[in-house]
Amino acid sequence: MNSRQVITRWLRTALWALAIAASLAVADTYEARLAPEVNSAPRLCDYVPCAEVLPGAESFSERKGAPRYVEGYRSEDGKPVLVGYVMLSTDITDTPAYSGKPVITLIGMGTDGRFTGVKVLKHSEPILLLGIPESALVDFNAQYIGKYVGDDIEIGRSRPEKNIIGLDAITGATVTVVAQNQVMMTSGAAVAQQVGILEPVIRPQARFVDAGASPDWAALAADGSIGRLTVERSEVGLGRGGEPFIELWFGDLNAPHVGRAVLGKGGYESLMGRLKEGEHAIFVIRSRGDESFKGSGFVRGGIYDRLQVRQGRDTFTFRDLDYLNVYGVAAAGAPAYSESAIFIIRGKGVFSSAYPWKLVFLGNKVDRATGARTFANFDSEYWLADAYLKGGRPVVETPDPTWLRIWKERALAIAAFTLLLVSVAAVYASRDRLVRRSNHKNKWPVNSFKYIAWVLSIGFVGFGLLAQPSITQVLTWFHSLLFQWQWELFLTDPFIFIFWVFIIVTVFIWGRGLFCGWLCPFGSLSELIYKIARVVGLKRFQRVPSKALHDKLKWIKYWVFFVLLAVSMFDLGLAEKLAEIEPFKTTFLVGMFNRTWPYTLFAAGLLGLSILIERPFCKYLCPLGAALAMPTTFRWFGLKRKQECDSCKACAKSCGSLAIDSDGRIDQRECLLCMDCMIYYYDDHGCPPLSKERRRRSKDGLELTPIGANGYFIPIKPVPMGKGRS
Amino acid sequence: MVDPRMPSDPVEPPYAGQGRFGGWLLAELWDHLWPWSRAGFARSRSIQSAGLALAVAASTVWVLAALGQVAAGVLIGWWFGWSVFEVRVRMDAKPYVKEGPWWGRRYRRANLMDMVCYVSFKNLLIGASLFIALKSAGVLSLP
Repeated sequence: MNSRQVITRWLRTALWALAIAASLAVADTYEARLAPEVNSAPRLCDYVPCAEVLPGAESFSERKGAPRYVEGYRSEDGKPVLVGYVMLSTDITDTPAYSGKPVITLIGMGTDGRFTGVKVLKHSEPILLLGIPESALVDFNAQYIGKYVGDDIEIGRSRPEKNIIGLDAITGATVTVVAQNQVMMTSGAAVAQQVGILEPVIRPQARFVDAGASPDWAALAADGSIGRLTVERSEVGLGRGGEPFIELWFGDLNAPHVGRAVLGKGGYESLMGRLKEGEHAIFVIRSRGDESFKGSGFVRGGIYDRLQVRQGRDTFTFRDLDYLNVYGVAAAGAPAYSESAIFIIRGKGVFSSAYPWKLVFLGNKVDRATGARTFANFDSEYWLADAYLKGGRPVVETPDPTWLRIWKERALAIAAFTLLLVSVAAVYASRDRLVRRSNHKNKWPVNSFKYIAWVLSIGFVGFGLLAQPSITQVLTWFHSLLFQWQWELFLTDPFIFIFWVFIIVTVFIWGRGLFCGWLCPFGSLSELIYKIARVVGLKRFQRVPSKALHDKLKWIKYWVFFVLLAVSMFDLGLAEKLAEIEPFKTTFLVGMFNRTWPYTLFAAGLLGLSILIERPFCKYLCPLGAALAMPTTFRWFGLKRKQECDSCKACAKSCGSLAIDSDGRIDQRECLLCMDCMIYYYDDHGCPPLSKERRRRSKDGLELTPIGANGYFIPIKPVPMGKGRS
Repeated sequence: MVDPRMPSDPVEPPYAGQGRFGGWLLAELWDHLWPWSRAGFARSRSIQSAGLALAVAASTVWVLAALGQVAAGVLIGWWFGWSVFEVRVRMDAKPYVKEGPWWGRRYRRANLMDMVCYVSFKNLLIGASLFIALKSAGVLSLP
């Protein structure tokens, strides 16, 4: 059987295995279709399985509260007894996961504040579609059951000294579980505070500096005494419009300079006279937009369900008894307004003007394709300036954002990884020196560095850090760009983030070869297997496809890439399924023995084939390689060639990438920068033109001058005797 | 005789010899944005004319998008369609690509894959910039 037949048969087998793998994949909740009522119906539990997350509950209330939740009851002697609470995550937070869309989760919590059940209703996470079974997310969520909502729970190891409870992450889906943890804790805390499970934080009250001033509107806005919250129409899915959806101005009326400026001296004093100890008043006016912040469906005795104040993790909502009219804004230069209110914040000592707080507008985002509405909130922070507080602003310890915490926790690994990347780049930048020290019989000055890079990329980067770049990341970024780009999400996986920065930079400087040939974990593993097989005596079984066959097969990877890209435009999920042509997840992220057999067979087949053919996957199938090959056309610095390379085939024969054509030209898109041709370039025993010149000079007794940057011996220039002596 | 030091034969576009850096830069910018040439037009008039018509249509779609009249999917579809045609137009009119550093003045003859890479990369940058600008301005929204 010739090599062409072998490769054709292998490709057929690989495609067959991939088809089986795709057909076996079952993802229950990936982009599941939920009834529109799930987002809006008062009787939530008629549409979702509330009883599954709140065991023991036999009946459920309508949605209530702000944010909304449902109470679950069991019957005892014919009377309903409260068992706990059920909440739909998207009623409370719109935190997006890796896909840019939220994981819609049903959460149950007992009256003691312990989670009783978690059920994912819908997700859009590509990694959970095929790469990792959905059961991994179910297992992850199960870790919350029995845990108290007020605990500090985070992804990673437990830190008893800081009372932090760690949860096991899902390998390869860090971003998803970090987002899911945020969803769980935010949702649980929001309901626990409303029902009194979580005690509010008592804060020291502000002592105001009162200079008796009554500034104008511009001055108040300039120093932050008045805040502004603007929601654009596009942010709620309503497309373009001149006016924002809503523009609100707000401020703390307890601060004397704000109260006097907004309400006038009399109005301010009257208001302060009405407030009891520990109560605060804020004003809100709507200057633009047609949307009411009070809500069109407000009824007497009900809750204003579109506005909240949040301070720390405490949330303050308003009822009709908390509302007062604004009879005019006194401050000069105030904008015209069409809706106004004064809201009283009650709860002794919980709210403090000295600390930062947020005005939150609770809205709905309309899905223009389906018309379905999903919850979205918008907020604006407010904190009185130092000058208005005796002793200035108190010190507030803001917890690090999740991505920053991960970077800090993994600082050592990040430093080591960065050092590896920089070192490899530095080694490659010194290639001229290294290849001059090598020759066609001894390539160790170059290969020693390359082999070290391979071993580190397989062991440390691939199996250790799970930092295998993939075409799925490119597709996900593209999708996020269209839907919701959040730097925080991508920063949550520091190794992939750093790797991509490295890849983008080096592709434009040197081409894709530095990543594909030196640092790609799967590529390194593939070529290392080939090299080891050669050393252990399997060389006689190894085959090199003919150049003509290679030149046909190499286009497959570009077609794979184009198909994935085109499919992703219409259906990212399908593109992610097809991206299983990459064996990276099976090899590094999930593990050969943690996946169903078709995936394992496919990955093992590719690695097995690597014993016989050098980098078969990289050369013929890798969509990521194809994606990186395209900009490689415009890399700044390529490899050196000589005019004689047009007829000499010395380095073309030894080119493992089969990137040198019959004219001696290098196809930069296919070149993996193994440096073999560059070793020949300076090797006066390997490069035929150099060798010929060396022999000629030796025969003629001429000096062997150093080899210049152009790859030739520096010419001997005869100098007239007399001139030299004078 | 083939020069193996270049991935394909060297070519010198008309503006490559431009002495002043500013003039050369402007000419290069124009070259990126304007895929037609007189020589190309003379060679295959129908393709170049169709290309012009398609370019007008694609530009109109961008303007409509800026006015909030076109969905993102339609815009991406048009931009992709135009890019395919631009490859064809450039292969006739300006069949060369830059070689080496972008600030250099070396050019070479483009084969089809070179041109596909060039047009897709260039139009990806242009498209992404315009797309993000329109999205930031709130005139383009997605389901």
